[in-house]
Amino acid sequence: MNSDLRSELHKKAEQAWPDLELLIGWQAGYDDLHTTPVFIRDSAEISKLIWNPWCTQNLAVYVAKHFAASSGKDDKKIGVCVKGCDSRSLIALLQENLVARERFYIIGMPCKGIVDLRKLHALSGAARILSVQVNAEQVALKSAAGVLHFPLDEVLMRKCRRCRYPNPLIHDVLVGDPLTPRTDAHEAYNDVAAIERLSLQERLAFWQGELDRCLRCYACRNACPLCVCQDRCIAETRDPKWLTQYMHLPEKFMFHFIHALHLAGRCTECGECERVCPMEIPVALIKEALNKITLELLDFEAGLDPQRVPPLLTFDAGETGI
Amino acid sequence: MDTAIKFIAFDQLNSALDRISEQLDVWVPVASKDQKRVIQFAPYRPGMTLVLDHQTTLGPKQVVLPQVEALFRFDYRKSADEPSRQKVQLEDPHPPAPTLIFGARPCDVKGFLVLDQVFSAGPFVDGIYAARREQTLFATMVCGQQDSACFCSSVGSGPTDRTGSDLWITPIAAGYVVEALSDRAHPVMAWLQEAATELHVAAAGKVQEEAARQQVGNLAVDQCQQHFLQRFADTNYWQEVAGQCLSCGICTFVCPTCYCFSITDEMKDKHGERIRSWDSCMFFTYTLEASGHNPRPSRLERYRNRVGHKFSYFPEKYQGLIACCGCGRCIRNCPVSIDIRKAVQNLQGQNHACS
Repeated sequence: MNSDLRSELHKKAEQAWPDLELLIGWQAGYDDLHTTPVFIRDSAEISKLIWNPWCTQNLAVYVAKHFAASSGKDDKKIGVCVKGCDSRSLIALLQENLVARERFYIIGMPCKGIVDLRKLHALSGAARILSVQVNAEQVALKSAAGVLHFPLDEVLMRKCRRCRYPNPLIHDVLVGDPLTPRTDAHEAYNDVAAIERLSLQERLAFWQGELDRCLRCYACRNACPLCVCQDRCIAETRDPKWLTQYMHLPEKFMFHFIHALHLAGRCTECGECERVCPMEIPVALIKEALNKITLELLDFEAGLDPQRVPPLLTFDAGETGI
Repeated sequence: MDTAIKFIAFDQLNSALDRISEQLDVWVPVASKDQKRVIQFAPYRPGMTLVLDHQTTLGPKQVVLPQVEALFRFDYRKSADEPSRQKVQLEDPHPPAPTLIFGARPCDVKGFLVLDQVFSAGPFVDGIYAARREQTLFATMVCGQQDSACFCSSVGSGPTDRTGSDLWITPIAAGYVVEALSDRAHPVMAWLQEAATELHVAAAGKVQEEAARQQVGNLAVDQCQQHFLQRFADTNYWQEVAGQCLSCGICTFVCPTCYCFSITDEMKDKHGERIRSWDSCMFFTYTLEASGHNPRPSRLERYRNRVGHKFSYFPEKYQGLIACCGCGRCIRNCPVSIDIRKAVQNLQGQNHACS
């Protein structure tokens, strides 16, 4: 199934190329289970582009951080491939005037879900994974211990299992047919609701246990398409010095909760912060909790409508939600 | 000498470690309580379940070079003779206790051989590191769990590399066969009660033979020192290998050979500590100068420096030793799957046209 979509992607990229100076997509990584972003500057390299359930990175991360200030030669655009969730990050950047719509040519990829490598490794145990085949809704995992078959759904990322927007909400061209969303807003916040059912003490203990592992590598911040303070982060400023260099919990709490609060009403739930964490801290849950509140109080979800002004970027004396 | 070889049955592992930990601080690989796949070295406590069939997420670097450590404590006190003046009193950190790192891999130990060059081999000796290193023993395990990111054989090590280890552990069907590699290991060997049988030793030999046959990785590092320098100014090359870098600190924090640190005074009222903490050359602030100038302003210069440090500047300074142990952690954990092997492999070759 993927080879058809891949040829369609190549064809549509070729067609768009005369108007592009750069195309950001995914290419094969160091093994079959890993993809890595590719920046195509020559049409001969379009054949490197791939599209499959391993294309995990949210390429919108490069849009504001690397290219927002660049101006195109001869009105040429930057092409970028986005999944449904990634497209919301782009829209959020547009909502905040951090990027200009006309600078980008958006290739939308309707997405059935991305495989969570951690779940594959959990299934294979200590045995080395030799290959993984995805056929329609089934996965065949071949490891040194033998071949395991299971439904694709079982190994999708958490964000995919709660996905409401499999189809890119903004695009210039679409690769493949639109898909049906798997959940609604009510179900999407089940993971947060489960944490909210804990007592305050239990919740504190949960986050103490999880955040204690934080290394302060800041991958969650740097992989976030909407963390746009770039090299001016509160976590690293020396003057004023908000955080010490100690690895105590208060430092880690402060960083993660500031990170989350800076994303209140902005986070588009692409899940990159959680995916990249080498210590597997479920940091996206903090942002989802804030999004749940934003939805309930202000009936707003970030990254849906480019024309709508995010609630925390505006002031409305007649606001009834709060 | 076969009598010196010991055996620990699987169900005797904890009782053996209980005995050793009465004498030494013991660090062992354990899974995190909530996320079972995150494995780290932690101080051993009775009843712990060790994870010995996986590479750890973080190596044991922190046992000798902690992520944060106090170099000294200080205290401002009023001078009794002259109340308008303050005196600074300094207090040294506690001396390190004898420590055993149990269940490290050859790549983990190779990391320390790199750190030693900088901190303890001279001419400049870091007293705190050297003291701790002197007190640390390694019980290393033959490695049978390579994956597609591993390349230890390419950088002068391998799954059966015993260099730097004091005890050598070979897992067999019934338990672990333990050999002494250094004189320092003898007290630990004496605390192990069961001698290995000939069958155990023969089984261990087979496991080691099998592991020794593995050629892990096929990266060629000959002359990478010079090739790097030739590539230095080839911006397009660095764009090609690391254009997607997000400039986070994962690769350096999980790296057994990265040792760059920051020094800060952390004070509260009149008391404080001068601490050393891990830094990362991937961070913007790493080379940010007081003037505001940054000689490595973008992720490309920073990534280039990481490759250069490990494969060119370090071997140039330290008799050809490559500052990489091939553990693959930087590759495995990179959010955008940057592969340092590719960055090194392609150093040789035609420069891209400068644009």
